[in-house]
Order: sequence, then structure tokens, then C-alpha cells
Amino acid sequence: MLFASSIVRQLRKIAGRDAVLSAREDLMLYEYDGGVQRALPQAVVFPQTTEQVARIVKLAGKEGVPIVPRGAGTGLSGGAIARKGGIILGFSRMNKILEVDVGNQRAIVQPGVVNLDLSHAVAKHGLYFAPDPSSQKACTIGGNVAENSGGPHTLAYGVTVNHVTGLEVVLPDGRVVQFGGKPAESPGYDLTGFFVGSEGTLGIATAITVKLMRLPESVATLLAIFDSIDAAAQTVVALTSEGVTAAALELLDGWTLRTVEEAMHAGYPMDSGAVLLIELEGMREAVDDQKAAVIAVCNRLAREVRVAKDESERQRLWAGRKNAFGAVGRISPSYYVQDGVIPRTRVPDTLRRIEEIAKKYSLTIGNIFHAGDGNLHPLILFDSRDPAQMERTLAAGKEILAYCISVGGSITGEHGVGMEKSEILPLMFTPSDLDVMQRLHDVFNPACLLNPQKIFPMARSCRETNAAAHPAAGLAFTQGGPA
Amino acid sequence: MSTAATTASVFDELAAIVGPRNLSDEVAELITFDIQGTQSAIRVSPASAEEVAAILRVVAARGLAVAVSGGFTQQHIGNPPERAEVLLDTSRLVALDHYDPGDLTFGVGAGATVASSEQRLAEHGQFLPLDIAERERATIGGLLATNTSAPLRHGYGGLRDYCIGIHFVTGDGMVAKGGGRVVKNVAGFDLMKLMIGSFGTLGVITGASFKVAPRPRQTATFVCEFASLPEAIGFRDRIMASALTPIRFEIVSPRAMEYVAAHSDARDPDHYHPEAPVAAPDTSWSIVLTAAGSDAVLARYRRELSAARELTGSAEHDFWNGQLDFHANVAARHRNAMLMQLSVPARAVEAALAGAEHAAVEQNAMCAALGRAALGSLTVAVIPLSVDPPSAMQYANAASAIRASLPPDGSAYVLRCPIEAKAHFDVWGSTPTDRSTMLAVKRALDPAEILNRGRFLL
Amino acid sequence: MPLSIEPAPHASCFSAHDRPTWELYSTCVHCGLCLQQCPTYRVLGTEMESPRGRIYQVMLADEGRLPIGDAFVTHIDRCLGCLACQTACPSGVPYGHIVERARAQIEQRYHRPWLASWVRHFVYAGLLGDYKKLARWARRLRWYQHSWLARAVRASGLLKLFGLAPMEALAPQVSQAFSFEDFGAMFPARGERRGRVALLAGCVGSVAFDPLNRATIRVLQANGLEVIMPEGQGCCGALHAHAGRREEARTLARNNIRAFEQWSCDAIVTNAAGCGSAMKDYVDLLAGSSEDSETAASAQEFVKKVRDVTEYLAELGVRPPAHPLALRATYQDPCHLAHAQRIRSAPRELLRAAGVELVEMQHPDYCCGSAGVYNVVEVELAGQILEEKMDDVAATSVNLLVTANTGCMLQLRSGVARRGLPMQVKHVIEVLDEAY
Repeated sequence: MLFASSIVRQLRKIAGRDAVLSAREDLMLYEYDGGVQRALPQAVVFPQTTEQVARIVKLAGKEGVPIVPRGAGTGLSGGAIARKGGIILGFSRMNKILEVDVGNQRAIVQPGVVNLDLSHAVAKHGLYFAPDPSSQKACTIGGNVAENSGGPHTLAYGVTVNHVTGLEVVLPDGRVVQFGGKPAESPGYDLTGFFVGSEGTLGIATAITVKLMRLPESVATLLAIFDSIDAAAQTVVALTSEGVTAAALELLDGWTLRTVEEAMHAGYPMDSGAVLLIELEGMREAVDDQKAAVIAVCNRLAREVRVAKDESERQRLWAGRKNAFGAVGRISPSYYVQDGVIPRTRVPDTLRRIEEIAKKYSLTIGNIFHAGDGNLHPLILFDSRDPAQMERTLAAGKEILAYCISVGGSITGEHGVGMEKSEILPLMFTPSDLDVMQRLHDVFNPACLLNPQKIFPMARSCRETNAAAHPAAGLAFTQGGPA
Repeated sequence: MSTAATTASVFDELAAIVGPRNLSDEVAELITFDIQGTQSAIRVSPASAEEVAAILRVVAARGLAVAVSGGFTQQHIGNPPERAEVLLDTSRLVALDHYDPGDLTFGVGAGATVASSEQRLAEHGQFLPLDIAERERATIGGLLATNTSAPLRHGYGGLRDYCIGIHFVTGDGMVAKGGGRVVKNVAGFDLMKLMIGSFGTLGVITGASFKVAPRPRQTATFVCEFASLPEAIGFRDRIMASALTPIRFEIVSPRAMEYVAAHSDARDPDHYHPEAPVAAPDTSWSIVLTAAGSDAVLARYRRELSAARELTGSAEHDFWNGQLDFHANVAARHRNAMLMQLSVPARAVEAALAGAEHAAVEQNAMCAALGRAALGSLTVAVIPLSVDPPSAMQYANAASAIRASLPPDGSAYVLRCPIEAKAHFDVWGSTPTDRSTMLAVKRALDPAEILNRGRFLL
Repeated sequence: MPLSIEPAPHASCFSAHDRPTWELYSTCVHCGLCLQQCPTYRVLGTEMESPRGRIYQVMLADEGRLPIGDAFVTHIDRCLGCLACQTACPSGVPYGHIVERARAQIEQRYHRPWLASWVRHFVYAGLLGDYKKLARWARRLRWYQHSWLARAVRASGLLKLFGLAPMEALAPQVSQAFSFEDFGAMFPARGERRGRVALLAGCVGSVAFDPLNRATIRVLQANGLEVIMPEGQGCCGALHAHAGRREEARTLARNNIRAFEQWSCDAIVTNAAGCGSAMKDYVDLLAGSSEDSETAASAQEFVKKVRDVTEYLAELGVRPPAHPLALRATYQDPCHLAHAQRIRSAPRELLRAAGVELVEMQHPDYCCGSAGVYNVVEVELAGQILEEKMDDVAATSVNLLVTANTGCMLQLRSGVARRGLPMQVKHVIEVLDEAY
């Protein structure tokens, strides 16, 4: 594709001289994100206003150049990669909190606002923004909206879509439109809800109205220690069916917890088979009740249940979970993290199955996951310099996802489809399902200039324009990155 | 355009799809399925998504229109149909069926009634956290299409928060689904959100999956009364800023309480009969909240809400049933009443309720209102005084006065009012969401515009 | 991070000497958790100016895809070396080691403009390498600072004209006496003797923070410690290592190891976080050089003893002060204490022991922009970073800003002056000294 220097000139005119990158040595720094996909953009522009975004989008439309929005580039499925080249819209300069409306428990933010910065900014009002992806120190709310991000505490409070009530969106034709507002809902189609999680393929959110939640009065963090992973898995099932509504319920298997413990000294016993990290939040009395219930259920199969005595012990227990991926990274620089989802009753079977798969392919697979909502993150360790092992790793990953689907689950719980899983989306949806989704895609983005070749399989996405595409290699790799 | 000949041949084609026993063109029967004065020529009851698709293809090919019906509990909402030659009845759409109590997930066909679903969930102490009226008739598909709001929404979220998968058929007969059966899933577009609240104009919902909840073992309801609206709102603000996490959190206007409280022997105040005693008019605003949890949790509520009247057991049950019947009670007693559904941010609740009171008085009517105090989802009844028959303009004026009291992103649509009045004003009102995009979405999924034609806001 | 879109590997742009190796940079999984912790990313908002981006540039250079040219040098130079990214990194990427080696490559492979080269040589090899020369220049500067000339120059606006005004504001006020004069001296413990420590006076510390060094000695004495200032000690080499001048840093390291070896002591203490973190890294520094095989063992011995003065006192437990201060203060974590040495609670404990009520600012561990000589080299950027910091400082509305590193003190003082805040900037040890 030809990329005229006149486009760069026009971008400079719109956003300012220092807001456009076009030198190759700069562009190479925008060929990656948190995953492993790579593609070089032809320009990067940092708009500061909605109006600039609209003008850039119009320009791209006129020139027939793809445009890819990017927050902090922490995504794990290649959502912010310019797969077909074109312009990357970087939102690092649209990072203002536009309004904090304490009375209505709402905030309006620009897409580049960092997730945790919003919570920090409203903490003085006793409020916070609930979605808490592990990358929340860096990831942006615009990116959260695109990917419908989750996190450990989504078990109780839901994912991003449950916390967004309104959007200002720049459509691929350059129009600026409003979906929803501060009220919980409005008559008409819920385009806000539909837009969240569309991975930047429908439009570009330039102002986001989010719900702010009240900080809980009381928090309790428990560590249940098990001799076997099966006992931990059975306990997840029991807790769920007992109706314990934990704020977070995380599982680490024996191999993972030992790796984590060595690096982080979080206080996980080295000789245990698995641990569950359980957090309860809410009214003091309710937390006390839940704590008693959790301890009772865990004690059926657990070796021991510990309750964090103070904030520092709580932080220590969480540090283990939050840095688990990194701790694994210390012993094996390359690992492939999957993001499957299964019904919670299938946790024990699935863990057994993953063990079999690990044996079958002679790989080490660590298990760490959001057990409370059945969102697995198996970590498959490999040496990237050994092609045979890489192939086995891919095959094992695919087999795990196939198993998730076979028990009624999903191929992605929070990382998104992006480039990584676009080729396996048809395992979950029929051609007719995908046709309907694509029709809706084309309502917004008919020329496929906005984040092209994401979500849908290559053979489907904008057939007439995919000649210049990079080859898609089935299930692509995602190496590393926290979840 | 829809001549008898056309419908006759369509009848045969539809019969071939669903079998002769599952459709009817009996006028005597169809008259009972009247939708705001419009009767269909054929009523057809498909049993699968594929049958729905086949029906819609036939209807579209013949240039006819379809009305979609569940339990007929919400057909009074929206404009009268522009036309609806075929009535697609979803009652046989019960094929989808999964329930995994351990996973707290549940899926049913669109035709399943809320009551039948509740019954199955109750066996495992679980429930769909949605307390609505007419559960025996209301269907799952209808709930989703109308995005019914209920008091429990405060504690458990709305349908958009716990519907995890949806099956539907587009206007041109494409069978589609979104989401799945697991509680966390970001694969593909979120079609659940699009279908919820679309009033059957984007597709015929054939089934859905939900995240269900364990039923709380113990609850208590607290009624707190205040002399004025500002006092009630001040109390609401204190609760919102407190650590209390009620599962229901309602505000009830003085007059609304008359339609909520268990039926007394006293006669209706607006029924002229001087000899019979009149119930003393209630003048206080109420904040009503339900707490769920252990004795310790309830004790905390008692401590913090010391001035409240507490309802438990059957009194509590009766109160909430009365609350759910508010709409029906108003409609039953006042044929001419107008009910509106308001959605505003929390801070605008006070102005909206005050505005509604004022608008009603201006139009020589009474106002009764209740709804989610913190979420700002309110039901307002404008009840014309029975002295003289109301004119269409009174409804139009009341609606526009109420809308004028809302912030720009607030909305108020008509749930019910006399059909004759609907021609004189916009029953849907404004919405903050871009109309042209909504229209483009509508055209993508229902290109021939055959679904619930003319009913919705587009 | 071995996968890249360009298939055929080119020859590496790096030389074998002091090279950032695949083993070092491949631990980065480019998750991006470091981005917001990086001061340059927060201000400039581009990947090139982020830790992840810098590591990627190192990888690109090693793969031969990116030359060691102006772009590479600009972005690697702009790193403050605050190491906040290392704290944030879940994978334990040794970012500091990667960047120092990248800078070593720049020194070897890139020709800076002659003026910059000359200044760098004069400062690093000249002033900081030779305490006699340093003392001479410090006296000249002291004369200038107290002379009519300084007043005249300031009044003339000449500095503003040449854009040097902020630099002059940052220059340390040269002390009346220099710590060199006490080299070889021994200061007896007061009260019951609890041990003996050797103090590193530091280069800038000796000429600009002599009062702080004296306060440090008093506080150590008051805590029952005998203090020695070994003769022959020199600059720690931190600035040289950060600038990629690793050979000079090694010479200084060997010199210090020799100087401190002469004395038996329980700990080698410093009141400058930057010096502490550099000395704790001597093993890695010297591992890169073959001639250091015999020094390796003594380097390990040396490193084992290095302690920040706050760290050592907190470990030991400070004696209750005679005159506890009833003050409210906020504490700024020096990067090389919090991120490089992971010391956060010790200085706070000492402040509390001195009777200070701590009012935490937002992000106390965000860099102030000082970063060695960064505030002199990257005046504008350092100024923007300082502005961000001063917002957080001002929000605490206290009158005392405490930190534990000399460089940070200079930078924070200029920030306080620029805002006209009614606030004093002190070292933890100075506060503790007042309480004794």
C-alpha cells in the first residue's frame, strides 16, 4: 500500500507537528502490544480532541487508509496491532478525566485515562471504578471499553460493559455520535452495551461515561490451602453452588504457587497441591457471615484456611496472584497464556484434562485462573528457540480451547478475539451467527478501514480488501502478559 | 394490500412450516389477541428457531408484517402497530433448555413463562433476580424484548447484566446467537445488549441464557416515611453514601402507596359515594428497602434505620406483590390513566418526581409514582380526575411537561395510555442515543421492516 | 521477545564488550505494566520514551534492525534511570542493567558532538574522578556564588538569554567546608557502643552537602556507632555507570573496594541513595571485566556491607531522640532507595521516631526528575516531571518535605522555590539530627 507523505502532512496539520510519528525507527515501536503479534503502521498520531479524531478518521476514509485505535498497548490478543498497516491513533494525550459526578456516581473520561488513575482520582469521595484487569496500573479505559476487560473482581461486579452507561463515538465516516448517557438505561437500542467489547471495529470512543462504585466498608482475604488440585477444584464448585458471592475467587495450582512463592514470598505453603485466594467485600456483618460460610465450605477439603490479619498480609497474598505471570516469566521467558472459560461445575474435569494434555505434549502447564467465573489461564511454558516445542505448545493450547468449547464454554473470557483467535471464532459460532455479526459490523464500518482483520476469520473479513494482509497462522501465539 | 387471497395462501405456507394444529385464522380467537386495536389475520406458533426463520421468510416475501407476542402482558407499550397480518406467538419456543445449578447458569426458550422458570430454579434455592408482575403469563422472551425493570434491579443489576447468551432470528430469517452459556465471555459481538429492550424490532428472540442467583435465605423490608420529597431524597442520599447494600431500594410517592398497600376495605377515593368511608389520604413519601442476610446483617439495618417500619414474612411478601401490581392496580381502577417509564441519573430523581406531580396537577390529574430510588428508573402514573373525560391534549401536555423536567440525557416513554391519545404525541420521547445509527442497525437486521412495524421509536 | 516480523537477522549493532544480551532483554514480555510508572512516558506519552519501548529498541539494535543513531541515543539518553519500571515489572526484567549496557554501547559506537563529548569527559573523567580537581573547581564555584559576579550575571538576565537560568537554580550551594578534610578521621560512639561503620562521603556530598555528612556522623554516633571515613575513598561511580562509562565506573569501584577493605567495620553506609544503589551493584559492574576476577571476591564482601544510612539505622533500631519534633512532613521516596534498593519503610520509621507526623503525598515514589545529572542535561523534561511532583507535594499542605538523597534535595528545592511554597526540604538524617 502506498502511504503518501501528503497524509503525514495532513495529519500534522490536524493534530500538530509533534503529534505525528512517521520515521521508521519510531514506527517500529508501535508494531507490538502486550501479545506477540507484530505489524508495522505507517504513521502514529496522538490526537488531543474529539474533533481531531473525527478529522483524522475522515482523512483516513478519504485516502482509504486503515486506522487502528490504541490505548496503552497492554492487550493480549493483538487488538491494537495495525495488521494491515495504516494509521495508529494513540490516545496517550487524551487522558483527561472530564467530569466526576459524585452525586450520580458517574465519571466522564477520555479514552486515554489509565484505569487505576480514575480510581485514585475518585477515592477521596469514597468511590472507585470496579473493573480491575491485572494491567490496571497501565491499561486505559478506552482499551477496557474496546476489549470489555475483566479482572479478578469482576466475579462480583461484572466486566467493563456493566460499568459503562454512555459513550461519545467517532464513527468511521467521521460523524460524532452519542450513545446513552448518565442514566442506567434509555429507550432505544443499547448501542452502548453493543459497542463495548467490539474491539475497536465499530467506532472510536472519545468520551466514556462510567459508573463509580462505593468503596466497601470491609474486606476479608482468605487463603485456603489444599493437598490436591482436585480438592481445590471441588471446593470451587461447592462455593459456587452454596451461593457464596465472593468478590474474587482465584486458584493457583501446586506448580504455579511454588514458582510464585519462590519469587514473591507471598506466604503460599510450598508443599501444597493448590491454593484458593478468596476475597469478600461489603458490609462488615455480611463479610463476617460470608467468611464463616467460606471457611465452613473450604474446611471440608482444605488442609488449612488462613485469614489475612491485616492490610499488609492481604497485599502480600494478592502480590502473589497479581505477579504470578511475571514469576513464571522469571523461570521461563516464553510462555503461552490461554483464556478459556468453562462452566464452574467442570473445573475439576478441566484441570484433569489439562494435566493429560500437558503429559501428551510433554509440556509444563501451570494453572492460575479466575476460578469464581470459570475463566482459565493455563500457562504453557516453552522455549521459543525450539520450533518443535513451539508447535506442540500451539497444539496443546488449541486442544485446551477445544475442550472448553466441548463442555459449553468459550475461547475467551477477557482477552478478546483480536488477531489471536479470529481463526477459531467459528468453533463457537455458526456461519449464520457470524453473518449477522458481520452485517452489524458493516453498518458501522462498511469499508473495513477501522481496525481491519480483527475478530472475524480472514476468509470472511472484508473479502475485497484483504490482499495486502499478513498471513494468518491459525491460532497465533500470545506470549506472556498478565491477566 | 393484504387481501384475503394473500392471507389464504400464506396460511397454507405457514401451515406447512408449523403443522396445521399450530396456527389459526379464527376471527373469534384472534380477537382475543388484539394489540392496541389491531388484530392479525393469522396466529402462528413455531416450535424452533428454524420454523421462526421460515415463517419470517414467507412473511417478508409476501410483503406482510409480523407482531411478536409472548404472554401479552406488555403489548400496551409503544405505538399501535402500523399493521400486523401475522401474529407470531412464541409460546412453543421452549426448545432451549439447560440448567446447571452448580454453575448458577440457566437457559430457556423465549416462550417459557417466568413462573415456570422460577419453579425449576426454586428446586435448587435459586432464582432469576427479577420480581415482576403477572409471572404466570409473562415470558422470558417478553422480558428481554421490553427490558422490564423491577425493584430487585437495585441489588442484582438488570437483564443486561445477567443475560449471558441469546438466540434470535433476524427479520429476514437468519438464525443467530450471541454470547454463550458461561458467565464470562467476550467472544464475538455482544448481541444480548442489542436485543434487550429492542421491543422485537430487530429479531424474534427464541431463547436466552442467564446467570442466576441463590435466593437469599432471609430478608426484611424497611419502610421509612417522610413528610416531603426533599426529606426522602436526603435520606436516600445518606443510604447511598452508607455501607448498607440493600437488594431493593424504592421511592414511593404518597398517592402511589394507595395502589401498593394491601387492598383495604375502604373505597376508592375517586369513586363518588359519600356514605362509605374514604381511606385517609396518605401524605408521606416513603423510601422502602429490603435487606438480605443473616441476623447480624438485619440487626445492623434495624440499628441504622431505627425509625423505619419493618415488614417480614407475609407482610413483606404482600407489600412487594402490591408494589409489582402498581401498574395493574392503577390501570384497573383508572381506565384513562397514563403510565410512563422514566430513566434519569440519581441526582435527577427529585426533580423528575416533583416535575411529574406538577405536570399532573396542571393537567387536572393526580400523580402516583414509584421506582428505583438510586437507579433513577421510575414509573409515573398520571391519573385524570374523573370529573370530565380527558382530552388527548392533556396526555400530550402532561408527557411533555414531565419530559421538560428531566436532564437532557433523561428519558420518559409511555407504558400505557388510551390508544386514541397516542396519535397526538410521541409516546417514546427522546433518547440520548443517536437515532440514525439505531435506524441503520434496524435496517441491517430487519431490512424489509416487517417486525413489530410502527411500534417502536424508530 | 524473540519473535519479530522481519525474518532474516541482520548483524547486531552492538559490540561484544558490555553488551545487553538476549538473556537480559528477552525476559521482557512487553506486557506494558511499566508504562505509567515511567516519568518520561507520563510526560511524553510515546512508546520510544517508555521502558518497554527502550528494551524493544535495544532488541532491535541487537537484531541489527535499528542503528545506534540519533533516535536510539535520544531515547536511551532520556531515561532517568529511576527504575520505577523495575518495581512495576512482574517478570523481574533487569532494566537498569540493560540500559546501562545500552549506554555503554552508545559510548563505544556513537560520536557525540564535540562540545558534548568534551563536557562529558571533563565532568566524568575530570571532576568526578579526581577529588583534588573537584575541590579546586568547587572552591571556584563557591567564590562565584558568593561574589558580585553572580549577582551581576543574574541581574543582567544573561543566563536567561542562554537558557541557563534553570540550570543555575539547580546548582548546589557549595559548602563552607569540604568533607575531604575529615578523611581518615574516626568519630567515637556515644553511649553504649553498638558497632562501627564506614561512611562514604560522596563526591557532590563532600563539596555541597558537608553539613549533611556531619549530621550523618552525629546521628550515627548518637546511636552508639563509631564512624570512620576511610582515606582514599572516591566517587562511587554511579553517574559514570548511568552514563555508560563503565570502565571509569569500574576504576572507581575498585578504588573504593580497596579503600574500605583497609578497615574492619560492620557496614559501609551512605546518605545518598544513588551511591548506595551503585555500590550494591558493584558485583554486576565488575563481572563484565576479565581483569576483575580477583576483585570479585572482595567486591562481594564489600557489597554485603553496603547499607543506606536509613536502612542501617532502622535495622539497628534508633535510640529515642531527646527532643522529639512535633512536625508534619511529607516524604519523597528517592528512586534509588525505593526502586533500586526497595527501601521504603526504613526512612519513614526514622521520621516517625523523630516525632514527625507523616502526611503521604500521592505517588511518593514517582521520580522528581533529578536523576543524577538529568536535570542539568534534560532541563525542560526534568522540569515537567518536577511540576507533576510538585502538584502532589503541594496537595499535602505541609511545611516540610523530606527525602533521603542529595540529588533529589536539590531538585525538590528548586521546585519549592519555583512555586514559592513555604516549605523546607531536608534529608531524613537532618530531621533526625535535629531531634537528638
